[in-house]
Amino acid sequence: MSKFSTHRIRAIAKKEVVEFVRDWRTIMAIIVIPLLMFPLLFILFPILLESEAAELDALELTVIVQSNSLEESMEQAIVGAGIDIVMEPLDNQSQLSEPGEDLERVRNGSVDAILRVEKVNSTWDYAILRLSTSERSNEAWNRLLDALNTWESEEVERRISDSGMDVNSTLNPLRWDGDVAQSDVATSGEQAGMVLSLFIPLVLAIWTYSSALQPSIDMTAGERERGTLEALLCLPCTRLELLLGKWVAVATITGVGVILQIFGLLFAIGYLASSSVIGLPELSITTVALIVGAILLFAIMVVAIELALAMRSHSVKEAGSILAPMLLLIVFPALFTQVINLDGIESFWFAVPVVNILLALRELLMNRVIPEHIFVWAFSSIVYAGLAAYYASRQFSREDIVTSLS
Amino acid sequence: MQPLLTLNRVSKSFGDLHALTEIDLQINSGEIIGLVGSNGAGKTTLLRLMAGVYTPTSGKVLLADGKPVSDMRQVLGVVPESTGLYSRLTAWENIRYHSRMHGVSDEDAWARTAKFAHHLDMMDSLGRHTKGFSRGMRQKTALLRALAHGPSILLLDEPTAGLDITSARTVRRLVNQLKREGGTVIYSTHQLSEAQQVCDRIVIVHNGDIRADGSPDLLLEQTQTTSLEEAYVALTKDAARPRQEDDEGEGRFTGWWRRFFTPKPPMLASRGVEEGE
Repeated sequence: MSKFSTHRIRAIAKKEVVEFVRDWRTIMAIIVIPLLMFPLLFILFPILLESEAAELDALELTVIVQSNSLEESMEQAIVGAGIDIVMEPLDNQSQLSEPGEDLERVRNGSVDAILRVEKVNSTWDYAILRLSTSERSNEAWNRLLDALNTWESEEVERRISDSGMDVNSTLNPLRWDGDVAQSDVATSGEQAGMVLSLFIPLVLAIWTYSSALQPSIDMTAGERERGTLEALLCLPCTRLELLLGKWVAVATITGVGVILQIFGLLFAIGYLASSSVIGLPELSITTVALIVGAILLFAIMVVAIELALAMRSHSVKEAGSILAPMLLLIVFPALFTQVINLDGIESFWFAVPVVNILLALRELLMNRVIPEHIFVWAFSSIVYAGLAAYYASRQFSREDIVTSLS
Repeated sequence: MQPLLTLNRVSKSFGDLHALTEIDLQINSGEIIGLVGSNGAGKTTLLRLMAGVYTPTSGKVLLADGKPVSDMRQVLGVVPESTGLYSRLTAWENIRYHSRMHGVSDEDAWARTAKFAHHLDMMDSLGRHTKGFSRGMRQKTALLRALAHGPSILLLDEPTAGLDITSARTVRRLVNQLKREGGTVIYSTHQLSEAQQVCDRIVIVHNGDIRADGSPDLLLEQTQTTSLEEAYVALTKDAARPRQEDDEGEGRFTGWWRRFFTPKPPMLASRGVEEGE
């Protein structure tokens, strides 16, 4: 038996991929969900929100206005906000916001909200009774507040004007001259890179780990549980070939998932860019190559660790209960790196496991190519990936992996 | 007969459990050897040592030319107890996968598979996913898979377990055919009648020891009995030990922890039976 055969590694990887993708749930998990996740999140979700907002705008709302001396201009402002009003006299209340006998009317939905207004000298006191768990009542509250704010602004301007003062100079003694966005010297591409760097590394890290989870378990603990590993171990292949074959298969499946997700993300960003919501990041070829390299090193480490830990497990259940909580080891550093200030960051941060790749991705998405940082994260990542691969090879060499539950 | 494989004072332990103790065994080319023993006797451990899946705790498993046993895998065909088929692959894909791992072309593997599949009445099932296969069909597929690359040594771990009478008979006939072609077969079973029909040498394994090794006639002569069943009983008078995995869970826990994870049946608990009795 030759010591190392790429032919056998290819055969193992091919069989693993074929077997894995023959399950329709897998197709959903590695193709459909990654491809649709970001477009759904960035495009369909806002559309859904807009349609919901339009539905709320179309609501015909009835509000009871309790007042003994309502200004006509205030009444017009409320009616102008699309609210039907029913006038009632205002009873004596210790505080206007105390619901009192009106509580039940608002709670049972017979009225959308109640506005109480009382003139005290030259000012007005008011309160709005509403049911915060009701969409109609909340919409009535929002429309009333808008109407009252508009009326208040007009009243303030009128009073300033009546006292002989200039309205603009009184209300806006300090004013920005020109366009705020125009004054930012960062290009739209750089701004887009900054925004994307806050969540793309997080998503890539979590997705790389989680999409490798199922195939890693299926190809190791799953094989062990189903009793297929013994026949495999009797074949003329080394344990290292077995590990490499399975690694290639898991990396391929994970890679396809991550690439499709990035594709979906770019599509969503392209859509948002066409709507001028966000620009496209400016990345050089070198930066793109470094990003791919960083993800690859991260994937080598993650897949090797997942394969190793899954291979130690006697069953799929055991492997799942070990690997699933370990996602937190990715999530916590990922969240942590979001708040690290990249300006003047110390180089040692780029040597911390997981954090190094996430910081590298953040820097690269902002098109910052700093040789010292690149050297530290690349070197440390190669070391971590090597250690993970060594650990995995040790686990695959264990004798007890042949024992199965079947 | 040429010696093919030698086990020299081979012992295998798993923690405190001594699965095999100082086994001496020589496998000769062209033999059909039956490994007979109860559950947990050490048959599967012995087969795994021969396949190079396990490394001996002490002693050596060597080929005739002194090479390590892992070098034999190229000419080895194995049918493990669990069959080890991939349910989302067809029977032929399962067979082809193993053949490719042996470096055999798909054409050669198909030619051999088709030849044996006719004998086993499996031709029409080769294109089906093994997920819905009966135990018998799985066993036959595993056998075809083990034969497809043209092995000179076949390790069969309880190959007729779960098979109906006709299928079991077909498997036995196939093994005899392999013998005629000059192959060596090591056949694990706990059915003496089967071993008597198929094997020209029987090795009785009990509690990790080899209690007897020879032709069926020699065993009868050695034990002064008239049937192999009587011979087996005479050779294995001491009680069989529990299987390795039966002990696995209990060994991890002690004290209240053990009582929590492995509670005694209430009948035993009410009689005040102590731990370990």
